[in-house]
Amino acid sequence: MKRRKTFGDRLFDTINILIMLIIVLATLYPFINSAAISLNDANDTTKGGITFYPRVFTLRNYELIFTNPKVYNAYLITIARTVIGTISALLFTSMLAFGMAHRNLKGRRFYTILCIIPMYFGGGLIPYYFLIKGLGMMNSFWVYIIPSLVGIWNMILMRTYFMGIPSSLEESARIDGANYFTVFFRIIFPVSMPIVATIALFIGVGQWNAWFDASMFITKQELKPMQTVLLSIISEAKFAQQLAQTTAGAAADASNIGKGVQVNVRSITMATMIVTILPIIMVYPFLQRYFVKGIMIGSLKG
Amino acid sequence: MSKQIALQKSGSLRKKDGFIKGFIKQIDLQLLVIPSIIHIIIFSYIPMYGIIMAFQEFQLGDFPGMSRWVGFLHFNRLFSDPNFTTVLRNTVVISLLKMLINFPVPIIFAVMLNEITHKNLKRGIQTISYLPHFISWVVGATLLFDFFSVDNGAVNSALQALGLIERPIHFFGKGEYFWWMAVGTDLWKELGWNSIIFIASITSIDYELYEAAEIDGAGRFAKMWYITIASIMPTIILLLIFTIGNLLNTNFDQIMMLTNQMGNARLRDFADVIDTYVYRVGLREARYSYAAAAGLFKSVVNILLLLGANKLASKTGNEVI
Repeated sequence: MKRRKTFGDRLFDTINILIMLIIVLATLYPFINSAAISLNDANDTTKGGITFYPRVFTLRNYELIFTNPKVYNAYLITIARTVIGTISALLFTSMLAFGMAHRNLKGRRFYTILCIIPMYFGGGLIPYYFLIKGLGMMNSFWVYIIPSLVGIWNMILMRTYFMGIPSSLEESARIDGANYFTVFFRIIFPVSMPIVATIALFIGVGQWNAWFDASMFITKQELKPMQTVLLSIISEAKFAQQLAQTTAGAAADASNIGKGVQVNVRSITMATMIVTILPIIMVYPFLQRYFVKGIMIGSLKG
Repeated sequence: MSKQIALQKSGSLRKKDGFIKGFIKQIDLQLLVIPSIIHIIIFSYIPMYGIIMAFQEFQLGDFPGMSRWVGFLHFNRLFSDPNFTTVLRNTVVISLLKMLINFPVPIIFAVMLNEITHKNLKRGIQTISYLPHFISWVVGATLLFDFFSVDNGAVNSALQALGLIERPIHFFGKGEYFWWMAVGTDLWKELGWNSIIFIASITSIDYELYEAAEIDGAGRFAKMWYITIASIMPTIILLLIFTIGNLLNTNFDQIMMLTNQMGNARLRDFADVIDTYVYRVGLREARYSYAAAAGLFKSVVNILLLLGANKLASKTGNEVI
């Protein structure tokens, strides 16, 4: 039983869709424009006017950044921290969540209080800095992995999910003599894929995007992740020019030294940026249906 | 009498005994939990202990907590420092602007999206609107600097083409603009993501409510207001409480990136917030105790605001914590 659409309804719908399309355009345009510039010939870009698509198509900018050892190395660091960091944090967080989902867990009240306090109160940056320093994790790859092994908020989302799984599943295995490790890894984990995928996405994106830990705790260039390289490009004009010059190398002939280098900086910045976000853009639409569900579960509990 | 006490004693003993026995019996379950609990103690509770340095004169090489006590000296300095007054003003203004604009807009967005009947269009808009949430502020700043660039940036070009301005505006170069740039870019990045929770709770509204309202002759806006918004009110209040509890947490990543890690001196008077101040003063100028005091001040105010907002909400029957 649907009411017929009046003129007012149609007008409303049209305006509504128009507004939505403007929002979509404003969201997407910077991405599309950067992609177009990264795929456009560097010298042609100076003339301006690149909007939605490249005018003189080239993959040269990408070739340049991937032959640069700094970029190449940083990319490997980012991949390594994302893979190792996500798997290990997922393991620790889900194990804690599984235990906390058991009402018969001895000391559950104590553990719960222990988990809740840090959600609302923390020591802050300075004491944290000295903790990491005291643990000897300065200039170590492990500073990317170890401090973020347990996420309390993620744990609560997972615990809520685990508590919704019918207990008969676990009990029958327990009667057959399986211990909690077996129950967790063989039975509970495989049926919890929606929440596991959601949390994996959150942790993975966090690892991929992190820059602050590297800027606070790491001074060795070979341990810097991709975000730091991009950060150096946009915040230090010298770094960007060096990168453009060393990568462009002999390609920059005398005629375009002044302006040419400038252009290369913009093209290279955009190519680096696109390379930095491409994996995320490719992965997240597939996980979307999971994380909407995952957030819903969490929001019911508050 | 003494027998009774003895019985009671053995009872409590048995209880304690039971705890240990039960603990050992479920040692496999405990072993799943304990590594993470130790992790939380190390990475969350040791820094809390480290706050002691805010009341001491900490110097490099001191064992944490064993430095000379100075009481509230750093707090007195903090509140008499004119820089900190500016920092506090920037923090509160940016947060309030974000609360006033960037909190309601995602709700409106969710309600408007719900009015679109075309399923695939709705889904497409949703997917695209989440996208900027998944990129870092480093990338976000790279994109936005180019978008707002004085040198042929899209925004300036468009404004010039429309004849609204003559000369390009230096959006990220003037302190006076910074508050609005912070609010606007935050909205660009988080609008879609912040609407997810509202979209999700709208989908759980019983469709019969709308039909009943239609029979009663309710128009479109009446339905949006009295059914959609009214139904998601508990979610709105819950999130509002958390937003209030985060009032002094301005987005550190965002502000660091938009100001070139505070390297842009022209912006500092308007962009420096508590988080960036703690970082700048503490780690760059090495005034550790002073910065720790500023950090502690922020945490305490935040928790008081959270409790206050929660109490206010509980008076209207919406307690969440």
